[in-house]
Amino acid sequence: MERAEVEQRVNKVVCHVLNVTEDMITPESHFVFDLGAESTQSVELVAAFEAEFDIEMDDEAALSVDTVGGAVDFIAQYV
Amino acid sequence: MSATAAPPACSAHSSDFEHHPLQAVFAPRSIAVCGVTPTPGTVPFDIFYNILSSGYRGTVYPVAPGKRSICAVKAYRYVLDIEDEVDQAVIVFPSSVVERALRQCGEKGVKSVIVISAGFREVGPEGVRREQRLKDVCREFGMSMIGPNCLGVINTDPKVQLNASFARKMPANGRIGFLSQSGALCTAVLDYAQEKQIGFSKFVSFGNKAGVTEIELFDYLHQDPETDIILLYLEELRDGRGLIEMARRVTRGDNPKPILAIKSGRTPQGADAAGSHTGSLAGEDSVCDAVFREAGIIRVNSIEQLFNSAIMYAYQPMPAGDRLAIVTNAGGPGVMATDAAVRVGLSIPRFTKETTARLKAALPETANVKNPVDVIGDARADRYGAAVEAVLEDPNVDQALVILTPQSMTDIESIAEGVCRLHATATKPIACSFMGAADVGVGIKLLQDAHIPHYILPEWACEAMADVQSVRKWRQQPIGPPTPLPVDRAAVESILDGAGEGYLGEEQALAVVGAYGLPVPPCKLCNTADEAVAAAERFGYPAVLRVVSPQIVHKSEVHGLELNLRDADAVRTAFERMWRRVGQIMPEAQITGLLVRPMIPSGHEVILGGKRDPSFGPTVMFGLGGIYVELFKDVTFGLAPLDQYTAAHMVRQVKAFRLLEGARGGAASDIDAIQECLIRVGQLIGDFDRILELDVNPLIAGPASEGNMVADVRIRLAANE
Repeated sequence: MERAEVEQRVNKVVCHVLNVTEDMITPESHFVFDLGAESTQSVELVAAFEAEFDIEMDDEAALSVDTVGGAVDFIAQYV
Repeated sequence: MSATAAPPACSAHSSDFEHHPLQAVFAPRSIAVCGVTPTPGTVPFDIFYNILSSGYRGTVYPVAPGKRSICAVKAYRYVLDIEDEVDQAVIVFPSSVVERALRQCGEKGVKSVIVISAGFREVGPEGVRREQRLKDVCREFGMSMIGPNCLGVINTDPKVQLNASFARKMPANGRIGFLSQSGALCTAVLDYAQEKQIGFSKFVSFGNKAGVTEIELFDYLHQDPETDIILLYLEELRDGRGLIEMARRVTRGDNPKPILAIKSGRTPQGADAAGSHTGSLAGEDSVCDAVFREAGIIRVNSIEQLFNSAIMYAYQPMPAGDRLAIVTNAGGPGVMATDAAVRVGLSIPRFTKETTARLKAALPETANVKNPVDVIGDARADRYGAAVEAVLEDPNVDQALVILTPQSMTDIESIAEGVCRLHATATKPIACSFMGAADVGVGIKLLQDAHIPHYILPEWACEAMADVQSVRKWRQQPIGPPTPLPVDRAAVESILDGAGEGYLGEEQALAVVGAYGLPVPPCKLCNTADEAVAAAERFGYPAVLRVVSPQIVHKSEVHGLELNLRDADAVRTAFERMWRRVGQIMPEAQITGLLVRPMIPSGHEVILGGKRDPSFGPTVMFGLGGIYVELFKDVTFGLAPLDQYTAAHMVRQVKAFRLLEGARGGAASDIDAIQECLIRVGQLIGDFDRILELDVNPLIAGPASEGNMVADVRIRLAANE
C-alpha cells in the first residue's frame, strides 16, 4: 500500500475517533496535546486502525505512538 | 464566551502582600485549565468544573484541543490562542505532554502554574528527569509552580473564591491555612473538617514540590491577613536549614502565627547502614524532630491532634499560663482529665479563698470545690454556670475545661447555652468535653457554632491546650546565634590534612576532640612492652591497654581491651598477651600499636555524637551511652552549631537525665559541663566538612567534683580532596 494512502486512511480514522476536522491534522499533530485525545480514546484509536487496515498491532508499541505521522510510520510496517 | 463573573480577583490587604510572588497562585485574575476533557468524573473535567462552580471571581478558559466548548464555555486549542492575559494555568494533561503545555504557558506570559498531573519523580528515574525539565521551563520563564502530582489549590477568600482542585467540595471560609504534600490526605481532611465545622483560609496540596515548597508557602501564609494558623502535612523534608529560618520568622516576631505539623515517611538516608552509633540512630525522622523543635514547629502525631490543637488556638485567646481549672459532673472523667493535664505539662492550680467560697455557696455540700471541681451528677445549667464563671474569674486560673457526662437529669442544651454565654465575654480560653455521642450531640452543635473547642475525650482537650502552651513558650524562648567557644582549630586541620578517608586512629581521634576542648585522658601509642610500661608509669596506675588497628572496630571481640592494670608487671604481661591473641584471632588485622591510657574513674556513660546529614547538614546527638545505646535509643538530636538553650534542652530531654541529676541517691553529674561538651562537638562537626560521623561514646560523666572524661571516640572522615 502506498504511504499516501496509509496517511489518508489514518487521518480519516483520527477524525472519526477524536471528532476533529482534517484541517487540524498535520503529521506532527500530537494525539493528546494537539487533538485532545483522552486516555480511553488512545485505545479506541488503536482498535480503529486495526479494523481500518485489517491488521493486528503490538498493543504496547502502538499505544506509545503519540503523533499522527508516527502512526502512519507504524502502520506502514504492517501493510 | 469565556466564564467571567465579577471584576478581577485580588485579595490585596497590604501593598507588600499584594505584590507577593504567590499572589498569582492564590488570587489569579484569570485561569486557563490546560488539558480539560468533556468527561465528568475525570480529573481534567472536575478541576475545570470546580473552578466554574466554586464562584471564582475571575475569568476561566478551558484549553481543550479538538473541543468547541466545555460546560458551555468556549474552549481553546492552545493556551497561546487565548486573546486575553492569563495569570494562572492549571495543567491536567498527561505527564508526557506537560512540558509542552508548560512551555506554551511561559510563552503566553502565565505567572503561575499548578501541575496536577502525576507521573514525575514519584515514578522513578525517567520521572525525575521529566520533572527537572519542568523546573527548567519554569525557571526560564519565571513562573511559580505548585506540584506536580498534587490535588490543587483552594482559596476561600470571598474576594477570590477559587477551588482549583479536584476535591469534592469547597471548604468553609476560616482562619486556618492548610498545606499538604499528600493530595489524597487533603480530600480526607476536607471531609473531616466539614463534619467538625472547621473552615480554611487557604488549602494547598503541593505534591512533589518541584517549584513552590512549604518554605515559600509559609512566607505567603505568614503575610496573609486571612490566616491565623498554619497546618502542615509533610512527607519529605529537603531543606531543614531553610525551613528553620523561615519558620522562626513565621512563628515569632511582630506577627507570629503558629505552625503545627505532621511529618511522616523516612528517607533512604535514614536506613543507611552507618558505621557509628550516631549514624544508625540519626534517621531522618529523629533529625526532623530536632529541625521542628528549632524551627518552633509543633509536631503532632495525628490528623485528630492537628485539628484539635488548631481549633484551640484559632478559636480561643492565648492563655497567660499553663494553669487549668476543670469543672465536671462526674468524678472519673475529672480524674482522667487531671492525669492527662499533668502528663502533658499543664498545672492544676489551687483556687483562691474567694473562689472556694463562691463555689461552696453555689454548689451542694457533696460537691468537690477544689480543682477539679465536681458539680455532682445531678448538676443543671445553673450549677455549671456558677462554677465555670467562678473558676474563670480566679486569678490562679489561666483556662478552663468543662466536662459533661449525660446523666438522666443533665439538661445538656441549657448547660451548653450557659457555657456559650460565659464564653462570649470570657477573656480566658474555654474548652469542653461533652462525653458521649448521641445524647450530647445537640450541646456539641451549640458549642461548635459558638467556636468553643469541643473534644470527645478530656485528654484530647488537655493535649490541645498543651500544644497552645508550646506555642506560647516558644514565643518567649530566647534564641540567637551560638557563640563559638575557644578551640584549637589549627591542630585539627593539621591532623585531618594528614588523614585519608575512613576512621581516624584512636590516638588522633582523641587529639581532635581534645583540641576542641573535650576532656581527654593522656595516651600513648606503643609498639613495645617497655614503651607501654614507661607510658603507664608516667600516666599513673591503674592503666588501660587498647589495641589500635584500622581493621578492628569492636576491640572486646578480639580481646583487644585490658582494663585496670595496676602495676608495671600487669602492663607488660597484658601487652604481650594482647599482641599475641589479637594476631591469632584476626591475623589479617594490621596492628598499629597498643594504646596506653590511665583508667578513667567510673561515672554515668553518655554519648555525644555528630553526623553530617545529606538534607540537614551537621547534626548532633546526645543520649545514654555505652554498649546499650542502640538498644535503648534514649537519644535526642540537634542541628549544629548548638546554642546554650538547645544544648540544655537536648540534655534534659533524654530519660537518662534523671540519672545525671543524681536520682536514687547517686552523685549528680556536672550538667553544665556536659552541655558544654555537646556544644563543642557541634562546633567541631560544623567546622570540618570532612567529618562525616563522630561518636564520643562513652563520655564518662563523673560526679560534679570529678568532672567528665572521654573514654572512647570514633571519627569517620570523607576523602581528602
